[in-house]
Amino acid sequence: MDVTAENRSYSYGFLSIVYLQEPTKVFIKSLKDSNIMNVLNESGLQFDEQITNDVSDKFLNDLVLEYTRLFIGPGKHISPYESVYRDNEDAFWSETTVEVKNFIESFGLEYSSYWHGLPDHIGVELEFMQRLTCHEKEAWAQEDKKTAIRCLEFEKKFIDKHLIQWISIFCDKVKKESRTAFYREMAELTRKFIDFDSELINSNLAITTY
Amino acid sequence: MFRLNRRNFIKVAASCGSILAGMGELSRVNALTGTLKLEEGGRDFSPDSGKERQAIPSACWQCVARDTILSYVEDGRLVKIEGNPASIRNRGKICAKGQAGINQVYDPDRVLYPMLRVGKRGEGKWKRISWDEALDLLVNGGDISGHSVKGLRNLLDEDHPEKFMFHYGRMIGSDSKIIKDNFLPAFGTNTIGNHTTICEGGKWVAQELIWGKHYDVNDVEHTNMILNFGCNFFETHTSHIQIAQRAINAMTERGVKLYTFDVRLSNTAAKSTEWIPIKPGSDLAVALAMCNVIMINELYDHDFIETWTTVTVEQLKEHLKRYTPEWAEQLSGVSASMIKSLAIEFANANPGTCISYRGPVAHYNGVEAERAFKMLDAICGYIDVKGGTCHGVEAKWKYPKVEPDKKPKQLNIIDGFPGDAAFPNHHVSHQVLKMIKDGRFGRPDIYMVYCYQPVYVNGECEENIQILKDEALVPFLVTVSPFYGETESLADLILPDVTYLERSSWDDMVCYDMIPEFYLRQPAVKPLGEARQFQDVAIELAKRLGLNLPFNSTEDFIKKSCEKSHVDYEYLKKHGVWHDPDEKPHYLSYTKTLTIEDYTGNNILFDSKTGVYWNWEKSKAGSIEEAVSKGYSDTENAYKGYIGQRIGDKVYAGFKPDKVNKSGKFEIYSELLKKKGFNPMPTWFPVPDIENKKDDELILSTFKVNVHTQSRTANNKWLSEINHDNSALINPITAGKRGIKNGDKIKIKSAVGEIIMKTRVTEGVVPDLIAISFHLGHWQYGRFASGRKSPFGADSDNDLKLKWWSEHGVNPNWLIRNRPDRIAGQWLMNDEIVTITKV
Repeated sequence: MDVTAENRSYSYGFLSIVYLQEPTKVFIKSLKDSNIMNVLNESGLQFDEQITNDVSDKFLNDLVLEYTRLFIGPGKHISPYESVYRDNEDAFWSETTVEVKNFIESFGLEYSSYWHGLPDHIGVELEFMQRLTCHEKEAWAQEDKKTAIRCLEFEKKFIDKHLIQWISIFCDKVKKESRTAFYREMAELTRKFIDFDSELINSNLAITTY
Repeated sequence: MFRLNRRNFIKVAASCGSILAGMGELSRVNALTGTLKLEEGGRDFSPDSGKERQAIPSACWQCVARDTILSYVEDGRLVKIEGNPASIRNRGKICAKGQAGINQVYDPDRVLYPMLRVGKRGEGKWKRISWDEALDLLVNGGDISGHSVKGLRNLLDEDHPEKFMFHYGRMIGSDSKIIKDNFLPAFGTNTIGNHTTICEGGKWVAQELIWGKHYDVNDVEHTNMILNFGCNFFETHTSHIQIAQRAINAMTERGVKLYTFDVRLSNTAAKSTEWIPIKPGSDLAVALAMCNVIMINELYDHDFIETWTTVTVEQLKEHLKRYTPEWAEQLSGVSASMIKSLAIEFANANPGTCISYRGPVAHYNGVEAERAFKMLDAICGYIDVKGGTCHGVEAKWKYPKVEPDKKPKQLNIIDGFPGDAAFPNHHVSHQVLKMIKDGRFGRPDIYMVYCYQPVYVNGECEENIQILKDEALVPFLVTVSPFYGETESLADLILPDVTYLERSSWDDMVCYDMIPEFYLRQPAVKPLGEARQFQDVAIELAKRLGLNLPFNSTEDFIKKSCEKSHVDYEYLKKHGVWHDPDEKPHYLSYTKTLTIEDYTGNNILFDSKTGVYWNWEKSKAGSIEEAVSKGYSDTENAYKGYIGQRIGDKVYAGFKPDKVNKSGKFEIYSELLKKKGFNPMPTWFPVPDIENKKDDELILSTFKVNVHTQSRTANNKWLSEINHDNSALINPITAGKRGIKNGDKIKIKSAVGEIIMKTRVTEGVVPDLIAISFHLGHWQYGRFASGRKSPFGADSDNDLKLKWWSEHGVNPNWLIRNRPDRIAGQWLMNDEIVTITKV
């Protein structure tokens, strides 16, 4: 169980970074080192970018521009906030935002002073899932089954009440609007991963609480 | 098409992991900081305004378990109660009774002002008086409806302070220390009654004879097998929430098995691995047979028996061999093969633990049964070990204590009639009214009842009422209570106490993690009306009487206790609980060795007969010569000077005695019992009433449900909405013989009374038995309890209009004689014989 939780935690961690900010040199380098795009292509995704060692690589520049165009603007862009999908298009700091913020903060976590976005950003929600799954992993490692199950229950609650509620609409938009394979395919991965993880949580809960 | 499955997910996740590792420090990338902690409760928000409610850490008092709580207050009103998640005892959980505590505060039938009787006693006519008038009457005496009563000062002037009797039902922690260790000794009375023998006095005495002080803690969370004799701990227990959640953890997480012997299918029995129906009063036989099986099969803990107990393996084998499983089957109805297999499984569980409570204990052979259960644990080596049966560990508060000028005096009416009980260590409370009626041993001039309903909770209700109604027998009856109960309705003066949610006290109930937890009860709201915490009233009474107490208020007492105990008062106020984080669970404390300094000194004697070192000055011996010549066992209160037990060439802390001069050993063989003419070894003897029962007679058994306490929750509307009516449970065979069908009304008759109630025919009780719950059938205690408005009742509660039930159940105590068992004085509430007829 702890290996599964660890793997899920890595996946959430990676995806959160994809959305939290525009790509950096370090990100691109580790992306290359990890060979992740090839791994994903083997499973049916279609990344067509080539990453080179050149630090002034066009790939990085293109991605930064694309991130900005897609998620920040100026002009028409895809809002990365849950409230916009749940409440209405102008719904910044709506009830959903407060709900997400309260939920996250009730675990003793705080929003970093480096974070300038709203509390219900896609990257934040994924990062929060990373934290929960990481906590679950540690609980399994210490054979603290009770805590691990509680983590699973909270993960289920957060996925069901929040991520599942808007992730597919958001990802479909990104897939449609993206001009680069990178964000298009990442959106597909995100969508599929959340579905996959939701099922995994349910079956793990069924096994552990049997 | 892209699909994630378990196989490619592992590869993807590995890449993700390496990306995260490759990125190094992420604190400027991540949006969240801080350490994730799982929310355990502890915060609450108003569903209307969304505002956070004020959480005041405190302690429950609905029952003796006294769990820690958080009282949530919104705009000055108590709106919700939860468990305090910071507590290592109840771990943030409480029961339904605890949550309904709010109903106590806002009970529309509460007594909010001092009330003086103006009509005849029991007539229900009252006059509101001021506190000043009330205390003046109590101190100086006066006239009540043409009847002249003495006051406390008169008793002092006559040098008969013992004629002030204080009788309490529940008074624990600092509440008790202020009254019992300060106010009453300063006044000079030791005529202090309690209610322990209608609970589990017999269980405590058995333990005092065998291993020392109660409470026993069954370490169910760490055990490998639980044997349960007649205890309904999933619904009610002196540590209900503590033991229930730990047992459930063990059962669900480690598959630990729980076997419950009970005459009734309680919810605990239902949730057990197996319910083993047993004939009433025969638990002792089963326990003895199990011990025999363990000895015969050489599954015992040889070293523990030979080193720590007062018997040898050979003696035990010889004593137990007559108790064969086949013999026990005849008496108990439990099959011999079941007895054998459970005994062997228990001995091999290593460790297991044996739970017991009032089911077996409130029988004529109850003390013996409790001794046998402890013997069963002991021969397997399960005493004070992790996962075994352990001595309770509680906070040891130090507190201010008065040094009275004169030794307090006592009327001999609290330990039963001479010969009633050989070891009335916890008094014989259910005989008090009979002794007052009898009169040979004196009568109190002032009888003060505190948090206690003697007419309702004891047996023979009718006689209790007649005694308390009689001004010649009880000249001045004062009750201290927030409610208009059955006893208040007969009182001369009612002093309105606060509820526990308006109260300040420190508390000390045992902790099932075996680590002492200090905790505090603090007011969630200000007392309603003119209700005053009685401890503060007593302090004022002391001032009026010119008695000096070493503190000047309840708060002062609590602060001084904190100072003396090295507990931070402000921390406790903020968090409600404190335990030393470096403390380790207290297992095996009897094996602690003492140093020579511990057991040498001018006042310390070695008693060669028992191997006990003791400080004779703490006993009642007049001189060292007297102490030496009488020896440890025969010197009164010698146990108070117990220091340690010599075994071989070492001196150990041992099993410290309490209330009797037991040695530091685990006394399976009890010299103390032998001296009083009882069997020194746990020995079978039958319950005479059950033995001599005629075919048409039934044995009455009583029980508790999960939403009520014995006498103090029927006024809680949320609880009474759930449970407000009861039926008499009888087995289909028993019912069939008498032509009784489910739902029929029957008359149940005993030697002292009769009641009429509905039946419920169920396989959930054994034949020849009738089982009735005992919380209902109030005839006072307000509208939610009895349908009767108290004379001071308000109509402020809208739920009064929504109350949809008019039944209030039946109290079986009208039928039960107030008889003590001959060892401990335990009320024989499970030995009553009744007949039933269809109405």
